Amino acid sequence: MNAFELALPDTLAGAVSLLDPEDPTIRVMSGGTALMLMMKTDVFHPTQLISLRRIEPGYSQMGLLPDGSFRIGAMSTLSDMEHDDALAGFAPVIRQTMKLLSNVRVRNVATVGGALAHGDPHMDLPPVLVALDAQVVTISPEGERTIPVAELHAGYYETILSGNELIKEVIIPPQHARRASYLKCTTRAVKDWPALGVALTTDLDGDTARDTRLVIGAVGEKPIRVAEAEAVIDGQILSDKTIAEAADAAAESVETIEDELGSAAYKTQLVRVYVKRALQQVANQNA
Amino acid sequence: MKDVMTQTIDFTLNGKAVSAEIQGHWTLVDLLQQGFDLYGARQSCGQGLCGCCTVVLNGKPVSGCLFLAALADGATIETIENNEETLDPVQEAFIEAGAFQCGFCTPGFVLMTRQLIAEIPEPSEEEIRLYLTGNLCRCGTYPQIIEAVQKAAARMRAA
Repeated sequence: MNAFELALPDTLAGAVSLLDPEDPTIRVMSGGTALMLMMKTDVFHPTQLISLRRIEPGYSQMGLLPDGSFRIGAMSTLSDMEHDDALAGFAPVIRQTMKLLSNVRVRNVATVGGALAHGDPHMDLPPVLVALDAQVVTISPEGERTIPVAELHAGYYETILSGNELIKEVIIPPQHARRASYLKCTTRAVKDWPALGVALTTDLDGDTARDTRLVIGAVGEKPIRVAEAEAVIDGQILSDKTIAEAADAAAESVETIEDELGSAAYKTQLVRVYVKRALQQVANQNA
Repeated sequence: MKDVMTQTIDFTLNGKAVSAEIQGHWTLVDLLQQGFDLYGARQSCGQGLCGCCTVVLNGKPVSGCLFLAALADGATIETIENNEETLDPVQEAFIEAGAFQCGFCTPGFVLMTRQLIAEIPEPSEEEIRLYLTGNLCRCGTYPQIIEAVQKAAARMRAA
């Protein structure tokens, strides 16, 4: 690693004021697990790191809001999210996702804000939050704005955030009786980066699916929402036939990219198999 | 490294208040080895995957190779050297089960096992395997490690 200056601001607003949108070598560090890897492998050479570890504790807390949505401070660690019983009751899929996400030590340090801002398409949490229709609230010198997580990622390791804009919290809307599933395929060990992730939420009104959100991670430059497959599912009973048609529609419409975890053709086949499994899982969940 | 920036941090190390002069790019592993001659946490993969560098920071295990020493200012750190005079039930169980061969990974496995049993007092084999996915034993003593964890957990429940 190169030499850099380390700043430890006490407030999120203070952290924002230290950023320079013209200078990408000044960067915010949240948990730092991903950034440290980039620094140790000489991919990233910061001149200044701005650690968020000392900012207001409210940004590492979470809880239900009066309107029924759930707020997660951006500095909440993945372990905080895994162990929060209120969040587990609100969206059980998050705790299920955490159990297989990297390992305990990384989850103890990595934060939800960092996982979203980093823009690595192999992360498990972004597709899950897109499927849950979550939003992020950001802060910059221009003020605050709300961005759907579905619109946050612009490409490979790229977000639409400006250079001096930070995520302050994640808001998940009420899920009511929506069912959710996250399945992933790892090709070496369970804690490995996924070759594919499938996040799915849907309303089953009687047996009829509505407002389905199907999101595929780790096969492209960013999480991919699959409208073509959602259209096959919505308004239908989740029969074996519908599920098979939706899996085929997903495999045909999602453009997969080869990476070290699998070829494009392999990932297309994974999409077909895992979309089917995710749909079978929500169809068999107890309401 | 063009210029070396140093700073002083204060923290609690294995129950004692200490301070150290560190370089800005040091990780917790650098801090423990170069500042305190403690080699129980050692870098192996350098990516947070193998668990050999496990350090308990403010009560939670972290990968020492991925954590900047400068951020430990004011923190409480425990390492495998925490109880040098005696063995705890986890260490005893690892010895009895023969849960290591070369021993390079053992400090990390012991620290993670303490945390595992604190969180899950009666872990199933599957829970043990899942909790310890981020710890690698290249000698392949996993069956003995699982036996050791179950033995230690049973003893700690009985105590």
